[in-house]
Order: sequence, then C-alpha cells, then structure tokens
Amino acid sequence: MVVAYTTFPAYSHANKTAPARPARSSVNPVAEAAIASESDIRSGLTENLSRLWRYGLVLSHRRDVADDLVQQTCVRALERATQFQVGTRLDRWLFAILHSIWLNEIRSRRVREGQGFVDAEQALVVDGARETETHVMAAQVLRLVGALPDAQRASVFLAYVEGLSYKEVAAVLDIPIGTVMSRLAAARATLAGNLKEEGGR
Amino acid sequence: MTDNTTIPSDEELTAYLDGELPPAEAARLEALLETDAELAARLEFLSRASLPFAQAFDPLLAQAPKAELEAILSRLSAAPAPAPSRRRFLGALAACLVAGVIADRAFIGLSRQLAATDESSEWRATVADYIALYTPETLAGPVPSLAAQEAQLSAVEARLGLRLSPEAIALSGVDFKRALLLQYDDQPLAQLAYLDPETGPLALCIVRSDDGPKPPDVEARKGMNVVYWSDKTHAFMLIGHAPLERMKALAGDVRMQLAA
Repeated sequence: MVVAYTTFPAYSHANKTAPARPARSSVNPVAEAAIASESDIRSGLTENLSRLWRYGLVLSHRRDVADDLVQQTCVRALERATQFQVGTRLDRWLFAILHSIWLNEIRSRRVREGQGFVDAEQALVVDGARETETHVMAAQVLRLVGALPDAQRASVFLAYVEGLSYKEVAAVLDIPIGTVMSRLAAARATLAGNLKEEGGR
Repeated sequence: MTDNTTIPSDEELTAYLDGELPPAEAARLEALLETDAELAARLEFLSRASLPFAQAFDPLLAQAPKAELEAILSRLSAAPAPAPSRRRFLGALAACLVAGVIADRAFIGLSRQLAATDESSEWRATVADYIALYTPETLAGPVPSLAAQEAQLSAVEARLGLRLSPEAIALSGVDFKRALLLQYDDQPLAQLAYLDPETGPLALCIVRSDDGPKPPDVEARKGMNVVYWSDKTHAFMLIGHAPLERMKALAGDVRMQLAA
C-alpha cells in the first residue's frame, strides 16, 4: 500500500497551481526536479566511481588526493544536480566537475602549502606488474603518459584512455578544441620521441 | 617540416590519426601523403604514439577503493526526499484554501496563547496549518483493516525509525483512519489521522528530533488543542478539536503505549 498516495479530493493535482499560495506552489516544481534528477546523479556517480578515481589519480598522481577528488565530485554533483542537462553524457559532466575541483581547489591549495606531488614514475604503477610482456608494455605506457606535462596528460587520458572526442575533451577541460589538438599533437611527439629513446617498438 | 601553410601541421596529422579530421581535409592530406615523403615520415613518427592506452590504464580501475567511495557516496545521499509528499502537501493547502474550506469547528478552552517561536515548535505550527484544513469528510470512509493498518504503519515506521503497531497508536473512543508520510524540512513526518465521532479530525504527528526528552506540554494552535512531548529520538504532537482534558488523556495513553 502506498501510504502517501491515499486519495482525497483535496489532494487533486489539478488544483495544485491554484493561486492561493503562488510563491510556494511555483517554487515547488523546481525542488521536485532537483530531487528527481538527484537520484539519477547518484546512480550515475555509483556507476562511475572507479573511473572518476582513476582520472583523479592520473591528474594528481596520489591515491589520497584521488579519494578526495572523488568525494568532492560527489558533493558538487549532488549540489548541482539541477544543472545537469538531461540527454547529455553524465560521465563527461562528472569528469568536468572533478577536473575543475582539481584545477581550482586542490592543486592550487597544495602548491600554496608547498606540498609537491610524487614523482610521476612512481605514481602510475600497476600492482604486480613486470611479469609478462603485456605488463611490461602496460607499465611503459603508464610511465610515458605519467611523465607528460599535466595539461597534455589530462588530454591524452580523456581522448585515448576514456575515448572522448576532441569536442568532449574540450568541454571537460573547458578549453577550445584547437588547444586540445595542440596538446595531443605535442603529447604524441613527446611520446613517440621517448618511446624511441627507451628502445620501444 | 616547413612553415609553409599548405603543409599540414602536427595538429592536423594528429587529428587525422585520431579520426577527427573532416572528410575533405582528410582527403587532401591523403593526397599530399602520396607525394610528400617527409610528411609521410612525420605521420609515421606521430603514429608510434598510438599506444594501447586503454589496456594499459585498465588495471588502475581495479585499484580504485570502490567500497570506500560507495560508502562515502551513500553517506552523502542519506535520507533521500520523497518528492510526491511535499507536492501533495502543498497541493492540499492550495486546493483547500481555494475551495474556501475553513475549519469551523467549535472549540475549546485553552486560555494561554503560546507565542513559542523556538525551532522545535515550527513543525507544530506547520502541522496545525495542515490539520486545520481537515473536516470530518476528509477522513470519511471505513476504518482500515488491521492488515491494512499494519501495512501503512510499516511504511511510515521504516522512514521514521520508530516502531508503530496498530495497538500502540490506538486511541480509545477514536477511529484510526490512515497513516500518511509527509515531509517537513527535508525530514520524514508521520501523520496518523483519526476521526473522533464527537469532535472531528485528530492527528498524531511524529518527526525525528534529537532535542532530548521533554514531558507533555499543551498549547493552542489554529483553534485546536495540542499536546506535545518528545523522547530521545522523536518529537510527538497530538492535535485535535477535543477538549483539553480529553486531549491530555489521549496523549497520555498513546505516550505510554508507544514507550511500551
């Protein structure tokens, strides 16, 4: 039995926009929309927690910072649930929130506090790697990407790992598409050059 | 590479490799590659960076502390709000006001008019506004079966974190009519509605409250008598048109039954 839906004539929806309380009834639909999409946002967050954490790790090279980034992304996404445009990709929206938190809050705070980040080569390491040839290759890719400058690394991760289009990368990073192209081109040149030095291929 | 503008840049070559170059430009580039060995060599160089990225980063997903992150998220999402309740609540207010339904019950001596403005009294003011709109017709219809009562109460008690059995919420001489889950200040608010054959609608309302135990007190709101009290976890109010002494007796009974 659905208790809250007990029928009474006074509860008729047809009457809910009656003018007696215009302020309250006009505010109400907004609150409802927020509540409705908040549950969508919550389930979207649940599905994407690991991917968001991985992006946080790629950006910060630190697991604890990745944890923080995901937590703050959850808070922000739920707060801004009404701003999400239904019909667009939720995972892209979440990446954009995480990235802006990283850029505007966490990274700058750590720079101010004088805490650097660990060396890129230590950070992106797969546990128990170096066993098979596949792992060797994977470890090399992680090392090469980890050594890229921050801005290039984020673009490479989003485009080549997460498979975002240039347009989507530009939206997540809040930069022009031309900038995405130049970062990816520079990253490719660096990666190809370093690969050669490492004697890869 | 030269700086001749007709020579494709690394950006264009990269976009070509990534399938992001518009078809016309891709065709033009392919034509140039046929004849320009230097350009073809540059393309080949950049293409070496087409590494198995997704495969390499895949194991990092498994390293994410998924359980901890889910726990964090679920703490953030505690007590999600049931949207329809508030709409119905406001809809009821609006509809009743438009219809000119005014509680015109005769009442009831309560000499002191409390001007309590503390936070804990606000919810009682809201409930009083709501219950004032009830008429006996609002609660017309048969008394629900015991099974139906239990079903209604169990839905409410789950949200409220309070055990509510039909026996515990029964009021002597008054018919229980329904349990309704509403929302006040983003918190669940249980409204148990009764119909007193003599004085009309009566309601026992409950919200979570950590203000601490308080013994029963009385007040008048909207021409009705209110008896209110709280325990460690919840605040209660019994509101209705019955005379004060009767309200106090009913409240005393239900308070003991709920504590049992």
